[in-house]
Amino acid sequence: MLFFSLFVDGFANLGNFKVIASNSAALLMLSCGMGVVIISRGLDLSIVAAMVAGAATFGILTVAGWSVFPAFVVTVLAVLAIGVFNGWLIAYVEIPGMLTTLASAMVITGFFRYEVLNGEYLLMLPSDSRAVQLLSGDAPAILAVLVFIASWLILRYTTMGRVTYALGDNAAAARLSGLPVRLTTLGIYAFAALTALFAGLVVAAASSTVDFRIVTNGSLLFEAILVVVLGGIPLRGGRGGMRNILVGLALIAVLRNGMTLLNLTTQTQDMFKGVVLLIAIVIDNYINPRDTENDTVGDL
Amino acid sequence: MTSQPIIRFETVTKTYAGTAALDAVDFELYPGEIHALAGENGAGKSTLCKLIAGGIEPSLGKVFIDGSEATLKAPKDASQLGISMVYQETSLVPQLTVAQNMMLGRERTFNSVRRVRNTARQILQRLNFNIDPSQLAGSLSAAKRQMVEIARAVLNDARVIIFDEPTASLTPEETEHLFDLMKTLQDRGVAIIFISHALEEALSYADRISVLRNGRLITTGPAGRFDRADLIRHMIGEDLTPQATPATALKRTAVPILRVENIRMASMVNNMSFSVFPGEITGIAGLIGSGRSEIARVIVGHTKRNFGGGRIWLNGREVKYTLPAQAVRDGIAYISEDRKLDGMFDNMSVAQNIGLGWMAKFGRGKMVAPLARMTAVARDWSDRLSIRRIGADQSVIYLSGGNQQKVVIAKSLAQKPKLVIFDEPTRGVDVGAIAEIRQIIRSFAESGAGVILISSYLPEILDLSDRVLVAKSGTIAAEFTREQASAERILHAAIH
Repeated sequence: MLFFSLFVDGFANLGNFKVIASNSAALLMLSCGMGVVIISRGLDLSIVAAMVAGAATFGILTVAGWSVFPAFVVTVLAVLAIGVFNGWLIAYVEIPGMLTTLASAMVITGFFRYEVLNGEYLLMLPSDSRAVQLLSGDAPAILAVLVFIASWLILRYTTMGRVTYALGDNAAAARLSGLPVRLTTLGIYAFAALTALFAGLVVAAASSTVDFRIVTNGSLLFEAILVVVLGGIPLRGGRGGMRNILVGLALIAVLRNGMTLLNLTTQTQDMFKGVVLLIAIVIDNYINPRDTENDTVGDL
Repeated sequence: MTSQPIIRFETVTKTYAGTAALDAVDFELYPGEIHALAGENGAGKSTLCKLIAGGIEPSLGKVFIDGSEATLKAPKDASQLGISMVYQETSLVPQLTVAQNMMLGRERTFNSVRRVRNTARQILQRLNFNIDPSQLAGSLSAAKRQMVEIARAVLNDARVIIFDEPTASLTPEETEHLFDLMKTLQDRGVAIIFISHALEEALSYADRISVLRNGRLITTGPAGRFDRADLIRHMIGEDLTPQATPATALKRTAVPILRVENIRMASMVNNMSFSVFPGEITGIAGLIGSGRSEIARVIVGHTKRNFGGGRIWLNGREVKYTLPAQAVRDGIAYISEDRKLDGMFDNMSVAQNIGLGWMAKFGRGKMVAPLARMTAVARDWSDRLSIRRIGADQSVIYLSGGNQQKVVIAKSLAQKPKLVIFDEPTRGVDVGAIAEIRQIIRSFAESGAGVILISSYLPEILDLSDRVLVAKSGTIAAEFTREQASAERILHAAIH
């Protein structure tokens, strides 16, 4: 931060911080979902696909003349179905989470692009629609804060939250103790999909488009993981909380904005972000060293 | 023994997460000696061996090999220096042949099947082992697998061979043969370390004996200097007064709390039947791999039995669990043999661990976690089992083994179960806590609940059980009352 404020003109003014904040709203919501999944020692690679699918569903329904509320309810149900299906495959069919969500991301994007958008990757939304207007101004920030508070409450005070930590700490012990591990896994992935929906709505409203390329481009998914790991939640799960998400978000927002002001190309930025993620993981391994005696097969 | 030690430890310490598994140990091993390591579970014997065989590095101190300081980062470094380890659970690849297993790790880029087989055959013949080198390792008996491991060590020109519980799965004849072999190796100048729970073996076959306790090397000396009572005194730090826990006088009710009939599960459990009565402790003894833990895991729904593989009744009602959560709901708890693997939540505090156990049963279906109740229950149970913790929020991983085990027990007892299966409840537990844990088990049974106690430590089985079942290759081979049971009888039933 100090580096950028000293060497980049225009970094330290107030307007720039406002841009950082609004750009970060969607990323914050995605990271909340991703954080909960990672605390349970999972990884949701379908989060961006669910985000775009949710926004597209909502967009199509409103363009087709539905009013905002019923369209929203149907969209929520559709996105929940994606999350529950992910969770079901992971908890009941016992397919590893990374594979499950990778596959479902492909299925979702494929389905929307060829069945719904007839091969297009862009869905244009009329910028004068009521939904878009509802989500302008301070709405994204408020929504992000609400999602953040909800995640915090869930992790801290609900049964599901306690079991999420138990799962991340020792899934075998959680199962053997009789905790509702399957139902919780279902809930975790459903919740992640839901946070993705809100992120998708905010992004779609800001640009009046739903762009499926952000799924295949992968950069946003990467950033969501980066926020979680940079914030200090170990990929091994069981530790950390929403506080860490805030720390991670602040770090990545500064990094992203600073690099843009330095006029780095997106490709160079991706490269830097990759290096930063690797460094973060190395530091995490150093702070929480692996104990060869306790490692089980398949550990990250 | 005037020669230079082949291995020398200089104040070697190994700590795991703050607790010292090995504490400032000085140890010497000379060529051509048989050195026995004695000590209780968790005394540091395995850690010492792993430090030599190169699986782990010391936290402090130095290891000298042939007089020069050595850093053994990986097992490969040790094997290059001629150090081999024969593991308790053998480390052969079952899908490969005996010959391939022996050559494992030292293959050339291009291997001729015949050359590999011939090399293996030469070694096996030299050692007088009657094993076909082209047989699959998976089809061998436990004793023969161990022979293959020894042959592999000889093939590697091992100068130091470490045996971890070599006789645990052997018959007396095979044991005799193994020690004869050790003598032969010894005559060739090979130094041998063996870990054994059978003190008689150490006393009659070893040249020197070292006793470890709580990570410290208590004493080392020629085997002739010790007798059985000495060793036990060094191992536990006090005289072993035979504990005469009076058998519970509770009259057995006619109705068993649990009845298990003809359970079959893959190759591990083969037609197992038994009953458990309330108010008494049913001990299950048996070797590793006899199906004792597996049957427990089938009962609680952790592992699936075969299709049509037997029936289970709880209080006269037939039950079939597909998830441990269902067993917990019905009041059955299983306390795992390996708390780090599937017993406790490492990063959580004592209160969180116990609270989660309570929540698993009594918080069912609640959206908001009853955090206040969880804390209260946890405090109650950690007082009752006198769990000593340093800070309120300290992760259980930093507690001593005994306190960790008490946390795991409290986590299950907080569920107010009617039947608890204790699997190796005192493994890796400090000596002081062993008696406390046994008392917990005893008083829990006296409260009228059913208890299954699985243990490979015979004194524990004999001390606690009202009835002893002996498991052998997936069936119950024998049943003894408390009066009938003796270490010799149980061992005989478990092995033959």
